[in-house]
Amino acid sequence: MIDAEQVNLRIAPGEIVVVNVEEGRENLPIPDGAEGLLAPESGRVLFQGVEWPDLSPRRQALLRSTIGRVFEHFGWISNLDIMENVCLAEWHHTRRPAAAIAEEADRWARRFGVFPIPDRRPAWLHPMTLRKLEWVRAFMGQRRLLILEQPLRGTARDDAPLLFEAVCEAARQGVAVLWTSARPLTNLGATCVRLLAMQGSFLTSP
Amino acid sequence: MNVVALVGSRAVARTRRIRHETAIVWALFWLALRPSSWPRSVRSVFARQMLFTGVEAIPFVSLIALLAGVSLVIQAQLWMSRLGQSELLGPLLVTVIAREVGPLLVNFVVIGRSSTAIAAELAGMKVRHEVNVLDAQGIEPMIYLVMPRVLAVASSVFCLTVVFIVVSFGIGYVLGAMVGTGPADFGLFLNSIVLGVQPADFGNIAAKTLLPGLFAGVIAVNEGLGVDMAATEIPQAVTRCVVRSNAMVLVISAIVSVLTYA
Repeated sequence: MIDAEQVNLRIAPGEIVVVNVEEGRENLPIPDGAEGLLAPESGRVLFQGVEWPDLSPRRQALLRSTIGRVFEHFGWISNLDIMENVCLAEWHHTRRPAAAIAEEADRWARRFGVFPIPDRRPAWLHPMTLRKLEWVRAFMGQRRLLILEQPLRGTARDDAPLLFEAVCEAARQGVAVLWTSARPLTNLGATCVRLLAMQGSFLTSP
Repeated sequence: MNVVALVGSRAVARTRRIRHETAIVWALFWLALRPSSWPRSVRSVFARQMLFTGVEAIPFVSLIALLAGVSLVIQAQLWMSRLGQSELLGPLLVTVIAREVGPLLVNFVVIGRSSTAIAAELAGMKVRHEVNVLDAQGIEPMIYLVMPRVLAVASSVFCLTVVFIVVSFGIGYVLGAMVGTGPADFGLFLNSIVLGVQPADFGNIAAKTLLPGLFAGVIAVNEGLGVDMAATEIPQAVTRCVVRSNAMVLVISAIVSVLTYA
């Protein structure tokens, strides 16, 4: 549970909100709350001006398809290959040709240094590779919101600029970004960054 | 503890569970009729499940059908020769294999091979939070995980029963001709089978395969997705799935037989 009184949690298109969390604090409910997967004990969560519970399951699913996410922990379907995992949401929600989806996945994989996308199941891959492949999946398709839960955890220091650059580029194109991080993001370099911090169970605006 | 209260509470709980599973079958039926419920990802899951539950089970089901056919023909030889009624082999095969043994054995095979696998797979996904991963990507578990698996199990039971009946009848003809308990002429054999088939048999076979198949699928996904967070719950879910599915098959089979032929 977190207490978020007196904090503006609104994320505008093109805005990057970074939530600094203490090292070791895990399972922050904000990402699931933002996606309407968890209901707040009090207050409301709106996505594009609409409260999640007011939407039909079908509409909720369609809106969630516009959200790219890097999960804090294991974010893969074990019985699908990595390529199937990466392309699953696009494959499910759109009618884009399979070749075009795979091409986009390869493009992001090249950008993040994980090309070619391994033709294996997630259990066979190193956590660092899996983390960067989660970046690939998060950026696939037409996104309106990116939720990045400690996306740099387990990655090499040299990899961070690749993600910073992609996130800033997405923000410039109007994508809202919610980023949780246990370490200060000094290199983000974007002008539209708002910082929040978790102190105990309180979310504050420093 | 009050025995009556214990029995009553268990009966109520069981009734609720059956009602819940019947509601899922009903919801899936309507969901499956909507074209929007069949994006290519769901079609892919359905095809894979059909491959595993239906196609890959054909050799095993054929073997069982062959053995069942052999056993039946040996018994038929014993009794037909005593009664001097070899022309009744066809109707006997229809009565025993097509109406009762075939659907029952195929249901048991599918429960043992596939329902257990589905329950374990989905329970594992639940424990590893993979269901949340799907939800977070806007992929509804009911459409992506439940519907294609349940429908594939039901379709596979039906198709495998047809395979079972054909193989059993085939071995029945071959053995019957070899040991002299059935007609050597295939046309005569086929004719004796056609004469033994009643119109109600088609409804009987459909009801004894599709209904238990649907419920076996729903029980598997329900038990699988019903686990919480501990991996130790997975084998328990699989065991419950097998026990409940087998009991359900026998109950539905008996009810359908009574409604069709009594």
